[in-house]
Amino acid sequence: MSSIPRLHLDDVYVVVAAYCEPDIIMETVGTLVDCFPHVVVVDDGSPDATAERASRAGAVVLRHSFNLGQGAALQTGIAYALEQGARYVATFDADGQHAISDLNRMLEVLKEDNLDIVLGSRFLGESPDLPRLRWIGLKAAVLFTKLTSGLRLTDTHNGLRAMTADAARKLKITQNRMAHASEIINGIARLRLRYREVPVTIRYSEYSLNKGQKLTGSVNILVELLVGWLVR
Amino acid sequence: MIIKILLITLLAVLAVFVIWQKITSPAVRSTALIVLAIGAYFVWQPEHANVVAHVVGVGRGADLLMYLWVVVTFSVVLVLYLKIVEMSRMLTELARRLALSQPIYPPDRSKP
Repeated sequence: MSSIPRLHLDDVYVVVAAYCEPDIIMETVGTLVDCFPHVVVVDDGSPDATAERASRAGAVVLRHSFNLGQGAALQTGIAYALEQGARYVATFDADGQHAISDLNRMLEVLKEDNLDIVLGSRFLGESPDLPRLRWIGLKAAVLFTKLTSGLRLTDTHNGLRAMTADAARKLKITQNRMAHASEIINGIARLRLRYREVPVTIRYSEYSLNKGQKLTGSVNILVELLVGWLVR
Repeated sequence: MIIKILLITLLAVLAVFVIWQKITSPAVRSTALIVLAIGAYFVWQPEHANVVAHVVGVGRGADLLMYLWVVVTFSVVLVLYLKIVEMSRMLTELARRLALSQPIYPPDRSKP
């Protein structure tokens, strides 16, 4: 798949949170393991074949006994990666909308420019077929993040991230469900991490559109964040 | 008169339940019994509830009870809510430890 030999990526752990993705998980994991020796899939309590297929495709699989949410699943995978002595941790969506080449570039930027975290942005890059409603929702999230964290980001809800082990250790995700994306951004601001956005391409397939967040999801995220602040 | 008998009977049943169950601590049990006793007293002598209400500046005893009820209910909801949040955090931690303790390795690679 990639021109970068796997040996150079031995210190990178790619974390994939998966919930009920039996149809696409083998493809996603398959392309990842071609390039990365350490792929960790956290199966978030799927009642189907997601875990078994991810394992068959070559990933280490961690299973939540019941569904906890994407944030919790990512945190479990990150905890595993740190336990295993990862130097770099990446997050990658299970639904196959990210490109391996983008992740490779992000890791290069992370290492070469001595950053703490690199975030993928679909608005700096090309994202063909991004639906209008989705665009409005994502832009609203960007504005909200700017107001609450002060960070000037173009895409706050992108599942493609690469960070150092140190940053991953500090950015402990406590928002179990979808508010974790904003939580990471707030953490970057709070911890003053060195960050950069890198343009990435999101492939909006019919599959990922059906699985992805609806606009109504952002209301839930707001509520989750508010509750998180109240009971911190 | 019927309402007095009915309410006091119900309060008595509750009191028996409070004494019988062994889940809560003695302190909680005593407090619950005192509250039940006060309730029974005001059911029997509603005019005395009016007196107490007048003292604190509320028109009727029933109104005073309702205001207290709202405050207590809200506090209970809040406490329960915080407890649920706390419990879900603990559950997350538990599920995470369990997941981390049993990694499933891919078939073609042995344990690293």
